Amino acid sequence: MQCDEVRPRLDAYIDGELAEDECAPLLAHLADCPECGPEAAALTRLRDGIRHAAPIYRAPEALRSHIRATLRAEAAASAGASRAAPSWLAYAASILVAVAVGSGGTLLVTGERQGDAIASELIDSHLRSLLGSHLTDVVSSDQHTVKPWFAGRSELSPPAVDLAGEGFPLVGGRLDVMAGKPVPALVYRRREHLINLFVLPASRGDLGATLSRHGYSLRHWNEGDLGFWAASDAAPSELAEFERVFRAATSG
Amino acid sequence: MAWIAERRRRSRFESVVLPHLDAAYALARWLTRNDADAADVVQEAVLRAYRYFDTYREGDAKSWLLRIVRRTCYSWLERNRPADVVPLEADAGEEEGGTTALQAAGSTEALLQSRSDLRRLDGLIEALPAPLREVIVLRELQELGYREIADVTGVPIGTVMSRLHRARSALRRAWEGRDIGDAV
Repeated sequence: MQCDEVRPRLDAYIDGELAEDECAPLLAHLADCPECGPEAAALTRLRDGIRHAAPIYRAPEALRSHIRATLRAEAAASAGASRAAPSWLAYAASILVAVAVGSGGTLLVTGERQGDAIASELIDSHLRSLLGSHLTDVVSSDQHTVKPWFAGRSELSPPAVDLAGEGFPLVGGRLDVMAGKPVPALVYRRREHLINLFVLPASRGDLGATLSRHGYSLRHWNEGDLGFWAASDAAPSELAEFERVFRAATSG
Repeated sequence: MAWIAERRRRSRFESVVLPHLDAAYALARWLTRNDADAADVVQEAVLRAYRYFDTYREGDAKSWLLRIVRRTCYSWLERNRPADVVPLEADAGEEEGGTTALQAAGSTEALLQSRSDLRRLDGLIEALPAPLREVIVLRELQELGYREIADVTGVPIGTVMSRLHRARSALRRAWEGRDIGDAV
């Protein structure tokens, strides 16, 4: 092989893309040629230099979780668009509302069986958020960061307020999916406990209620168009206090 | 049940695509030259990939994703930084005779030479025109083969090879020149 055949093949050679039967003659030439040998060495130096100097970029964790949340919301939206079957949550909620409105009673007493379905789903979501790596999609105690994050991701716009002054600092926000619908969740901390505040469309009637299950409490109230469901392993009295300070901070 | 099928689709998508998220981000980061923009582009590209997941056939998931990320990058750049997507002067092998290609290679070298503020290789790579920058990134940093690079960038293998050669020549002249300057 001569210089004029070797030069156009040098890139392919150092890239490991040279045809096998061309490697031996090319190597033989590089060993002998005072110009092509150093040329090949310079190309190798450049490659090593690039790999050494170039920063290694990795997808930030925030992007990763953000993408997962977006995919969940997207999957939920396409599943919802097909309307193949009414989601059981909507079904359960409609029964729950009917029962509550019809009896004027509390969720705990009259809607217990139907309320169980929602309670299970919300408490499951709460548990998943504690066990998995997916507690928050947006980590911030700043309501001006958390609130806009939900815009465009969910039809519901939860009033994110930091309640650190009242003993419930805002940790961040997350998008869960329940029965194929994106459900915003605000995450608060109460000492060593976490509180997930799920935001659903308001249920009609006054459903003030507390449910407990396996040591987890769920508290529900409405405010305007929104229905709030607070889930936590904090004591029910703590959740009552949480509801009080949250409503005081958001109704003003 | 639509939502069960959708959940299955999503989890299959996540297992196919998410392992290549670092590569997707790295390509977007090199093309946009900015962390926040790269994150935006990748987010958009992954969503796009999800919507067109039906077009994915078993095979090279990484190339498939990078192709979408690259296209999303370019349309993002066209919208937001049109000056960054000036078309590359003729590729070697696509023009009759070698003169145009030679001139094109010369102009890239001149471009890098004019950036005397850049001494390090990573800065010089960032200063390359996007079509040359991407082949360097895909080859040297993502370690893709020529076939895969052609697949991702949508150009013939011959063009991949000539772009790699042009990019390396320009980088070498600028880098080696400055190395010597530093040593003196």
